[in-house]
Amino acid sequence: MKITDACVCPYPLGDSSVRRLALEAGELGFDSIVAIDAPSGEYAGVEIIGGTLLRDRTAREVINQVKRARDKGRVISVLAGDNGFNRAVIGIKGLHCLTGIHTADKKAFDHVTAKMAADNGVVLDLDLSPIISGRGIGRQRAIHRYRDILMFAGRFGFPVTLSSHARSILEMRSVREITGLCSLVGMDEPDVEAALDSIGRVTDPRNVAVKVIR
Amino acid sequence: MSPRPPTLREKKRYLLARIEPDDVIPEQKDLYYAISDAVTSLWGDAEAAVVAQAVVAAEKGHVIIRCRRGAEGDLALAISTITSCRDVRITLRPVAFSGTMASLRQRIRSREPVKKVAGAEGSGGGSLGRSGEGGGTEGVETPEISIAGKKFMAVHCEGKKVNLIEKGFKNTNRLFLTSEDLEES
Repeated sequence: MKITDACVCPYPLGDSSVRRLALEAGELGFDSIVAIDAPSGEYAGVEIIGGTLLRDRTAREVINQVKRARDKGRVISVLAGDNGFNRAVIGIKGLHCLTGIHTADKKAFDHVTAKMAADNGVVLDLDLSPIISGRGIGRQRAIHRYRDILMFAGRFGFPVTLSSHARSILEMRSVREITGLCSLVGMDEPDVEAALDSIGRVTDPRNVAVKVIR
Repeated sequence: MSPRPPTLREKKRYLLARIEPDDVIPEQKDLYYAISDAVTSLWGDAEAAVVAQAVVAAEKGHVIIRCRRGAEGDLALAISTITSCRDVRITLRPVAFSGTMASLRQRIRSREPVKKVAGAEGSGGGSLGRSGEGGGTEGVETPEISIAGKKFMAVHCEGKKVNLIEKGFKNTNRLFLTSEDLEES
């Protein structure tokens, strides 16, 4: 099992270098991190997986970007949009992760999208930053949305992952703290362990998504 | 009023948390307000009254927080949502729970002496010292590092970790790097 923070944003997106984030992640109990716009590698025993986050793009642009990036061993994530956009991008071969669902419309992720995510093996990323740094209605909305998504995940079986979206070492949290924070959205310890291992499973070429047709 | 006998007193637990970044040393009162705000924001007034949090000590880059026995989990969860203290970005990393402050004080190890920044540009043999109260480095010669056209000053260095702060009076940003990053820059 590989415990992974599914998204961190190193310098220049944030104020911490990718090495420092890896060093901190190791101390906080992670085996690997997905670093946006950073090269893959290893530092202080922590695997750094290069990631690409596609945002503010149309579905057609996302298809072109994914085609270009999919064979480079990077984790490709797309920021969620409205329902039509999410359905379009989830079907793209080579896309790993749909993130930022808490900022999307309330109807952006429904049972059809959930079924498609399960069929295509696309991971849904739960960004913990609104729970950590948010206050009031913003945090309540994120918790409500994540509870809804976890209900879909239980029914349709698509993988879920957890990320801090940390732009600084000060925004990173330990595995134990993440387990506590996830209890707010109804995840117990085995669920959190499975979620932290999701990126390792979907990026492993042996675990390609297989659609069973009956 | 005479004190209650020990058997009638409320049972308390103490949480030790490390303050990051290491060079920032907030005041005990400000920490209390930040923790109180986090607990109330996450759990509400009714649950905050049950937790009954109080900052009993802030020393050597650590803080000891008292709470009611049985509410330790709620307190630990609430302090993981702290992101700033009086507009200064900090984070509190829970280290241990205990029934006595003495055992937590034993766990507060004196931090290692700060080492010289390896490969820092224009260091001129300057050495780094551990920052004093208020996060300053008065009387300590610190090397100047230039990154992306901005001048930074190393304020803390421990092992491979190097914390920099932008030189200036206003809008001084922090950077968290490693010694290898400095060698490459």
